[in-house]
Amino acid sequence: MASHVMLHTVIPSAGVGSLASNPPTIDIFPDNYSVLLSGPPGVGKFEYFLGLVKQALETGRRVVFVTLDIHPSEIRTRAKDIALDISNFEGHTFLFVDCYSAMSSDKPDQDPRKRVYQVSSFSNLEGIGMAIAKASNELKTPVMLFFYSASTLFLHNSQQAIAKFMQIVTSRVKTHLGFIAYAVHDGVHDPMTMNLLKSLVDGVIEARFTEGLAREIRIHHLRGVRSDTTWATLGHSTETNVANIAGSVIPRRLGP
Amino acid sequence: MSSVASVVGESREKANTGIQLLDEKLNGGFPRSSTLLLFSEIPAEKRIFAEHFVMTGVKNNELCLYVDFFRAPQLARRELTKFGSYPEGNLVFVDATSSQLLLPSSEKYVIKDVGSLEEILSVTVQAIRETKPQRVVIDSVEFLADRFPASKVLDFWKELTTEAKAVGSTLCFLFINWTYDSSGIRHMREMTDFVVEFQSTISGGVMRSMMRIEELRDGGLKTNWVPYTFKDLVGVTVYFPRVLVTGPFNAGKSTVVKNLCNTSVSIDRMGTTVAFDYGNVTMMGLEAEVFGTPGQERFEFIFKIFAREVSGILLVVDATHPEDFERARKMLELVGPGLPFVVMANKSDLPGALSPEKIKESIGLGDGIQVVASVATKGVGLKEAMKVLAHQIIGVK
Repeated sequence: MASHVMLHTVIPSAGVGSLASNPPTIDIFPDNYSVLLSGPPGVGKFEYFLGLVKQALETGRRVVFVTLDIHPSEIRTRAKDIALDISNFEGHTFLFVDCYSAMSSDKPDQDPRKRVYQVSSFSNLEGIGMAIAKASNELKTPVMLFFYSASTLFLHNSQQAIAKFMQIVTSRVKTHLGFIAYAVHDGVHDPMTMNLLKSLVDGVIEARFTEGLAREIRIHHLRGVRSDTTWATLGHSTETNVANIAGSVIPRRLGP
Repeated sequence: MSSVASVVGESREKANTGIQLLDEKLNGGFPRSSTLLLFSEIPAEKRIFAEHFVMTGVKNNELCLYVDFFRAPQLARRELTKFGSYPEGNLVFVDATSSQLLLPSSEKYVIKDVGSLEEILSVTVQAIRETKPQRVVIDSVEFLADRFPASKVLDFWKELTTEAKAVGSTLCFLFINWTYDSSGIRHMREMTDFVVEFQSTISGGVMRSMMRIEELRDGGLKTNWVPYTFKDLVGVTVYFPRVLVTGPFNAGKSTVVKNLCNTSVSIDRMGTTVAFDYGNVTMMGLEAEVFGTPGQERFEFIFKIFAREVSGILLVVDATHPEDFERARKMLELVGPGLPFVVMANKSDLPGALSPEKIKESIGLGDGIQVVASVATKGVGLKEAMKVLAHQIIGVK
């Protein structure tokens, strides 16, 4: 309970009179909030999420990472590239919901010290929903949930089922668990589907390739948060730039 | 001897849940040749109930069939060891998952193309006919509902119901409704004998699961929402997160908590409770957290803290002290109206103790109340009172 209070004293930087800037950092998101991160495959959505995870963990927040596309061990490895050792946090302030291992017929993550919530099938939307709730409860709410990626659900379920699932999960998260960010691949869903997904969340962050294949990111809109919508550079693989795209762990704020 | 024989007899004609309290409500369990819909509108812990139901059968030496669209059988078998060791030969899978993972299957019954409802039906029917299972679980109907037209899914349902009835199986369909409107649900219910509805709620950072059993014939049984939990190696148990033991000063509340519970602690001073007693009781497929409140009026503020989210109340009175009954009634009012409660007529072995009937008359709580005589110091009447309370909480219409 004490930690609950502590998290609520983290004031969003984008209060009245200030503007949430790009690239968006973890502290601009209000509690009990949902966002969608959209962008074409390869633009760096996963790295951006990892950066947010790093900021969240290093500022004492609790994180649940729901992976449908990448094995947890690969996520641990890639996190080390941005100087984040997830295993230091696992079981304390970080948990995986792993929907990937069982479906990929890879060996599921079985290290007993790293408790991972397994879901055996992308079609088992109920199982994913329950694993999210259980993992969040194990860490103690509020938590920040990262869902990578919602696009994968579409290969295995109808749009109608996914829409209802996301609506229920999002409202459950916002009422009881905290914050959720979904990643979705741009260009693989029809515009109707993208609009539907955008309508289910409070805010949208977009990533894109420029004509010169540079990568950019911006806030499209965040309900209740005044936001700058100019495109900012989404970094490269060098460590300084990754730190830059993720925003530093020191909250960057614009003055009034 | 005769009671053992009747239990065995019952288990043959009924598919017990393995949760003693529920089986008592169901007169031994769900009838053979019946269809169960395990249903929820939003994600809930219902698979654990289906698994518990199957594993109860498997451990009874019944043959059970599990049609799994979400888990490969080797994974399912490993996961089911959370119910303890079991005779593996009693559990047969229809493997509808390996082909989705492009994995080979070593099961006898394999669905190679989950895109074909005809194949799903024919393999499942073949498995039912050949193994004549006593229990069948279809996990899950939403997998089909999301892939095939509703009318075809309902036909599938109907066919399986007929096949299962023919061999005397109790057939369970798991279903979370992502896509159907109310008429789809209505059609399913029409082909169902029992609906077990599930709910998982999160409140104050705690997840609670509840189920409600409804028999869909006129005058059929219907329970209240029954909270439940899962424990490794034990399975699903009914779970009451807060049973209050309350009553006037010196009625014997702490002794009730101590001698009712398997484990307990008391925060007391000079022989009287000043904060609370706490204990945990496990019996008859039930687990309850029991909180004893202080009886003295000056500790009423503690009482009010505990009076929230109460599952039921054991109201302890000293059967030799009728002058305290007024206070007992007031304490009941403090918790709030409408809660299930049982009066424990404690110290009923002492000279001058009023009989439960007399207490029922004089306590002024109406005709319907239940009074159980107890001698807390000797452990007499405690489990009986808890059982009466449990049946009240579970309820039945």
